[in-house]
Amino acid sequence: MGSATSVDVTPAEMGASGSGEVVIEARNLTKAFTETVIAVQNANFSIPRGSFVSLVGPSGCGKSTILRLVSGLIDKTAGSVAVHGNEVNGPTGEIGMMFQKAVLLEWRTAVENVLLPTEIRGTITNEDKRKAMDYLHLVGLKDFEFSFPRQLSGGMQQRVALARLLQTGADILLLDEPFGALDEFTRERLNVELLRIVDGPEKTTLFVTHNITEAIFLADYVMVMTPRPGQLAKVIRVPFPRPREIEIEVTPEFQQLVAEVREVLGEFITGDDL
Amino acid sequence: MSAVDDTNIDEILESEFKTPYAQRMMIHTLTFLVLIGGWELASFLGYLNELIMPPPSWIAFRLYEMFFVTGSIYWHFFVTMFEATFGFIIGVSIGLSLAITAAISPVFRRYWAPYAVVFNVTPGIALAPFIIAWFGFGWSSKIALAALNAFFPVFINVLTGLLFVDKDMTELFNSLRANRRQYFWKLQIPSSLPITIAGLKLGMTTALIGAIVAEFFSATEGVGILMQRFAFRLNMDGAFATLINMSLMGLTLFTIMEYMDYKVLFWRRHKRMEEVSAKRKARWTMD
Amino acid sequence: MSVEASTRLGTGYTGSLSAALVKHLIIFAVFLTIWEMANRTGIADPLLMPRPTDIVQSIWRIYVTQGNVWLHLWITFQEAMLGCAAGIVIGVSLGVAAVLSDSFRDFLKPYVILIECTPRIAVGPIFVAWMGFGMGSKIALAALVCFFAPFVNTMTGLLGFDEESEELFRSMGATRRQIFWRLMIPTAAPAMGASFKLAVGAAFGGALVAEFISAQNGMGILMARYTMSLNMPSAFAGLLSITLYGFILFRMTEYLDYRALYWRDDDLMAKKSLKRKAKWERTMG
Repeated sequence: MGSATSVDVTPAEMGASGSGEVVIEARNLTKAFTETVIAVQNANFSIPRGSFVSLVGPSGCGKSTILRLVSGLIDKTAGSVAVHGNEVNGPTGEIGMMFQKAVLLEWRTAVENVLLPTEIRGTITNEDKRKAMDYLHLVGLKDFEFSFPRQLSGGMQQRVALARLLQTGADILLLDEPFGALDEFTRERLNVELLRIVDGPEKTTLFVTHNITEAIFLADYVMVMTPRPGQLAKVIRVPFPRPREIEIEVTPEFQQLVAEVREVLGEFITGDDL
Repeated sequence: MSAVDDTNIDEILESEFKTPYAQRMMIHTLTFLVLIGGWELASFLGYLNELIMPPPSWIAFRLYEMFFVTGSIYWHFFVTMFEATFGFIIGVSIGLSLAITAAISPVFRRYWAPYAVVFNVTPGIALAPFIIAWFGFGWSSKIALAALNAFFPVFINVLTGLLFVDKDMTELFNSLRANRRQYFWKLQIPSSLPITIAGLKLGMTTALIGAIVAEFFSATEGVGILMQRFAFRLNMDGAFATLINMSLMGLTLFTIMEYMDYKVLFWRRHKRMEEVSAKRKARWTMD
Repeated sequence: MSVEASTRLGTGYTGSLSAALVKHLIIFAVFLTIWEMANRTGIADPLLMPRPTDIVQSIWRIYVTQGNVWLHLWITFQEAMLGCAAGIVIGVSLGVAAVLSDSFRDFLKPYVILIECTPRIAVGPIFVAWMGFGMGSKIALAALVCFFAPFVNTMTGLLGFDEESEELFRSMGATRRQIFWRLMIPTAAPAMGASFKLAVGAAFGGALVAEFISAQNGMGILMARYTMSLNMPSAFAGLLSITLYGFILFRMTEYLDYRALYWRDDDLMAKKSLKRKAKWERTMG
């Protein structure tokens, strides 16, 4: 089942995006849930500041696990993972997350949900409140600041989750298939908006998805994972300039990259032992 | 024991009706009158033994007598209501405290939860003779049985609500590095409200039952003993009149509970969400 | 709901079951010893908390030497079971009728809330006055007390199927009867099962209360007599018996529910799947 390749995404390889300073580093990162279920095996990668990295692979290949290891929500079995040079021991204020489900508190309005991280950290100042409102406007939810989650559509709920993520002020964003449950059109729109918001040297993003097109469209680098055991098979550089339009998805260059990813995933897509 | 509390009977029954409200009200009133009329007629024609199944007119007369002539019912009504409500409050307080303790402390839970599970199956009513023996014939035994009855549904529901928090939300709080206290107040408590309220509703119903059953044993006042006295003297119209009173009691409590549900669980009804949304918008202060 | 929820609660064990069991037994034994000591030294009031040794003696007496408990258990059991059966039959029938006939459902609506709110157990004295001291009034009260949950759950369960499933059936040309039996009933089954569990408990309670009001035989009147004569050890013995049997009854109902709704448990499903596969292969050759 594929050789145990360790893929090193070095700053040199990452090229000219950002300052080159490594913010997330994993060495031989391994996570085994039981003796036979090895979710991630010997993952190696270094992610430089300001880059957008997609992690793509079929369901169950361990990509969500890697995200949770980086965030500190679960403990590693072997190897190391460090954020800003510090070994990860648990969630820190430097990371912000978005999940597959918006996970908003139903009894709070949108803005109250956005303020949740601030609330947990301590007191809420007027400055915080202003920022929360601004973020909500930034994600396109003006006039919905006081709506409850149940009054919002799935796409809108994810936007609130995005605003909440921005509110944390974290410079490292970890997104776990946040648009997977949405329809194609909403997803595309949110993809564009996401890029608009996180573009630049301040924010480093690690984005997990099973959608190859989405992975390539968003990222500077695409890390391809294969399952059982979860391994990083290949890193593909995405050279398109920013800002990106949805239209590039139909260009031959783009499709070439898609083909490259598919090739790596090969047998896993045809599903011989899914 | 009332029904499974997840179900919203009203919604189901309301769902498919196309005829307007007023018209349906009229039909309901009409059918009701027809039923009553038929009953009265059957009695009048001798089909029903008046001693066993009194006609509506007798019951109505007895009601009138109770409410407006002797005024005897008011005191009994009050006594039982008081017993039930006070018992409910006590049962809820104990239930809440124990449930919260059990939710917070795994040790406590491990050693006490099995007993709770086993005892929950036995109807609290079975303890009635004991309660009477322990508390005597006065009001306290009625309150105690009501409290005991109210305790179980509240305890079980609150504990379940606090323990079974949505996993994704828990993960969210973990990722935000919330401490135990924040987790408890900002997530556990609000997320457990629907089930807790359901437990409170059930508890109120069973508390009333507890008070009445305790009265059967031994009481001088209260609608329970009133009913029993009427029935044993074969004063059936009195018994039925008392039953109607009890329905009224139940309805009152039900309305109160439903109102609380309506107010507290605002995020389940669109209209309420709009109301609260507007309120919070108005309250939003910033310079 | 509260009963069903309680069985999901579990106890947070992390160690093995036998170790936990032993721990519990030890604690229970210690608890009993303290209780006994408290009574012997006169700290505890024997009225409130009779001596464990006395209780054990009473248990022995009512079960073995006097053997009087058997009759009462049997009577209460009969009353509860018959009442429960009647209540379930009535409840389910009403529920089905309400589903099959729109006008009946409409007619029923105002009365449903009324019935739900009225403490039905209060009808006890009326039943006793009508039917006398025998088992009839107990069965009737048990039925009255427990019919409501099956009624409501049957009705909401039957109506709880999703529209797409119904459309699927209709697109295949299913008759109303087929839709009823093959879609609505299985959809309703979990809720109905839950309500039956509740009904068993409620019927039990109803039977006991009717006995409290007046009876010659039955666990309720037995306990009442013992407490009235301040024979607390025997009363406790009776209480323990009821608790035990109630628990057994409940577990039995749960087991039946578990077996009937096999698609809710992975292991059961797997077994059923194998059985059906075997049957298929047998008949297809």
